[in-house]
Amino acid sequence: MSNTLLELSHISYRYPDGSIGLDDCSLRIARGSRNVLIGANGSGKTTLFQHSNGLLRAQAGVVRYDGKEINYGRAGLRDLRGKVGMVFQNPDHQLFSASVQEDVSFGPLNLGLDMATVRQRVASSLQTVGMTEHADKAVHNLSFGQKKRVCIAGVLAMEPELLVLDEPMAGLDHAMQKELMAVLDGLHQRGITLLLATHNIDFAYRWAEHIHLMAAGRCTASLNAAELGEHATALTAVGLPLPEVIKLHRGLVERGMVPATPAPRCANSLLGLLTTLNIAKEIP
Amino acid sequence: MLIEQSAYSNRWRSVSPAAKGLFAACGFVAIFAAKSPLTATLVAGLLLLVTLIGAGITLGRYLRAAAPALFFLAMGSLSLAFAVDVGDNRPLLHLAPNGLAKLVEVGTRSLGALAALLFLVLTTPLVDLIALLRSLRTPELLLEIMVLCYRMLFVFSAAVHETWNAQSARLGYASARLTIRSLGGLTANLTLQVWQRAHALHLAAQARNNDGPLRFLEANFANTGRDCRVAGVAGAGLIALAWGLA
Repeated sequence: MSNTLLELSHISYRYPDGSIGLDDCSLRIARGSRNVLIGANGSGKTTLFQHSNGLLRAQAGVVRYDGKEINYGRAGLRDLRGKVGMVFQNPDHQLFSASVQEDVSFGPLNLGLDMATVRQRVASSLQTVGMTEHADKAVHNLSFGQKKRVCIAGVLAMEPELLVLDEPMAGLDHAMQKELMAVLDGLHQRGITLLLATHNIDFAYRWAEHIHLMAAGRCTASLNAAELGEHATALTAVGLPLPEVIKLHRGLVERGMVPATPAPRCANSLLGLLTTLNIAKEIP
Repeated sequence: MLIEQSAYSNRWRSVSPAAKGLFAACGFVAIFAAKSPLTATLVAGLLLLVTLIGAGITLGRYLRAAAPALFFLAMGSLSLAFAVDVGDNRPLLHLAPNGLAKLVEVGTRSLGALAALLFLVLTTPLVDLIALLRSLRTPELLLEIMVLCYRMLFVFSAAVHETWNAQSARLGYASARLTIRSLGGLTANLTLQVWQRAHALHLAAQARNNDGPLRFLEANFANTGRDCRVAGVAGAGLIALAWGLA
């Protein structure tokens, strides 16, 4: 079993209207890792995701899954899409069944599973995303955040190894973002590899193990999130600032108030550090 | 939306759709079995009472849901009662021979059929009806079209609403001329959105391994057998009543 789950090697893709989707793009996703793809609008994030699921076929380069080149035949795609689940940015582009339960059952039934297994998987995935009580509701009666959860449940029911989420936080309020993060953390603990797109560098630094930077259809850098502070130039090159917590921590280090290591990944961790050093009062 | 709200919030939401479908079908049979307008009116009244008292639908909501159908029914029935005589002079509207009898007969039967249909749609969400039709071996293609149309109805009504609001906020409907122009823009915009959303849904279906028919989970109602027996007995009673009074 290869440690690299998904590998895109020198992928290029141009849309029929001539615009460039991907341009000699390379990326590796390690098995069991939490990954964030970050870049400006139009940098190629969605195009890259669609290559990972076989929705688009590279015009140049190779996509490998679990060390093997993707087979774009019917059986090959069926196998790939059973392992790589994709959650679209706009839930109304993904949900087309009349009811929640029906929509979640769509993927597992396409895998050819029997009705009893499908029923069990539907129940389990709805429970994972906290939507069990809405199972019989019509999709159009759900809120935006609930629709996003149903989208995730619909993909989870296929029990993928790699879950790809296109800007899952877009359009969600703070509370829903927190709930969604808890769902994603739970999935990661179950061993599912996660790759998600975002515009938020602070969130990426807080949550991810690996941060992949995208610009102009190319993955310009794949960084270890813990070492992000050392890659300010790479971030600037794609128009991103350093996370606020890194800047704040550096300011405090310069004043000799906190040690340089370990570097906190979020404001709460930094406050925790200050509390242990008796600089700040205990966080409520 | 009115029908949708009732279907989801009525007292018999959890009753098996097969039972409700059976009772509605019995209602149709009873209406056709009724030989006199009075019997048909009685059957229609019973179906109305079952919907209001049994399922807990309010009269106001029932009448609002029935209003468009009642309007068409009134128009259709009146056209049966009256005839236009194009004589030597100008066209003359007069009561057709047996016109009133036809009006009463067709009108009461149609009212009964409408009451049976309203009973079904006001107590059963379309998702359950689709599942019921699937279990009755309705061709998959028809069901897929129903599912997609039903879902897209709400997606597009949201799109229309959003575009309409965006246009109104910039005075798009401030005058008759602007209204015509904005409606043209709305239509063009929706045409594009239809294409884009259809493509997006196709991609989403592919991403979840779809390569042919749309397959969904069958609905599961715990007391289907018991519900169907009750509906069968009630429906048979309705038919017997209509038959007996005939």
